Amino acid sequence: MAVRDTIKAKWFWYCIFTLGCWGPWVLCSKLGSRDIPANGMEFLFAIGGVPVALAMLVGRGFGLEKSVKGITYGLIVGILSAVGQLALFAAFRSGGNTAVVTTATGLYPMVTVVLAVIFLRERLTRIQILGLAFAAAAFVIFSLS
Amino acid sequence: MHISAWFFYAAVVLVAWGVVGIYQKLATNYISAESTLVWLIVGLLIFEPAVYPGKELFRYPTHGLVFGLLSGILGNLGAWGLFAAMKNGGKASIVAPFVALYPVVVVVLSPLVLHESVTPLDLAGVVCALVAVVLLSV
Repeated sequence: MAVRDTIKAKWFWYCIFTLGCWGPWVLCSKLGSRDIPANGMEFLFAIGGVPVALAMLVGRGFGLEKSVKGITYGLIVGILSAVGQLALFAAFRSGGNTAVVTTATGLYPMVTVVLAVIFLRERLTRIQILGLAFAAAAFVIFSLS
Repeated sequence: MHISAWFFYAAVVLVAWGVVGIYQKLATNYISAESTLVWLIVGLLIFEPAVYPGKELFRYPTHGLVFGLLSGILGNLGAWGLFAAMKNGGKASIVAPFVALYPVVVVVLSPLVLHESVTPLDLAGVVCALVAVVLLSV
């Protein structure tokens, strides 16, 4: 019953949509990096984002909130995303195994959790501590390989 | 101990995207998910002069250009799907670990599309990493 409800839910299909985008996003990043250096890939990546931003703007009827804090944080998100994406292209370019690079970089929620504890004063649950242990194990294994 | 180049770059990705998670949280406290995505892409464009490849851009092979642009479209569309899932009744605690499973798609597809294989040791690392992401997001 619960499973049937989940499959009927809109959010479930949005998640599937995201997975459907991010799998090929990685593969395209790797395939492009075979021919193009990291800075060129990052340049193209941002241009690819423009139609997506335009679609968002049309969806919102071109009405954006005028929150200085919100806009500043949003811009910081963009600039730091670019730095991360550039490093990801560099990792693919340097010839690391794609599956390994993808899972290792996919561990970024670990850093968010640790930073949230330090700066936003959030508390860790026991399950999250266990998660950090698994992340550390993965990192040790990847550094050995 | 020898540290591979990819491992160093992966650490940069971890730190940059880890901090992004914090600011994303802060941004969506003030503005909608869609607006956050718009400003995110403006932020990407601010970064463009730093990575502009100059005349080289016109010498890139066509399929490389297509993969680069597709990467931008798919990566950002995926981010929108994540925001939309949260807005349409998905709990962050379920949605975040769900979409963080995208490496599974890559692990399954990379032998087929990229003709790469994974060593048993790396596979152990991949499994640990996936378990970690799910536990951390709960």
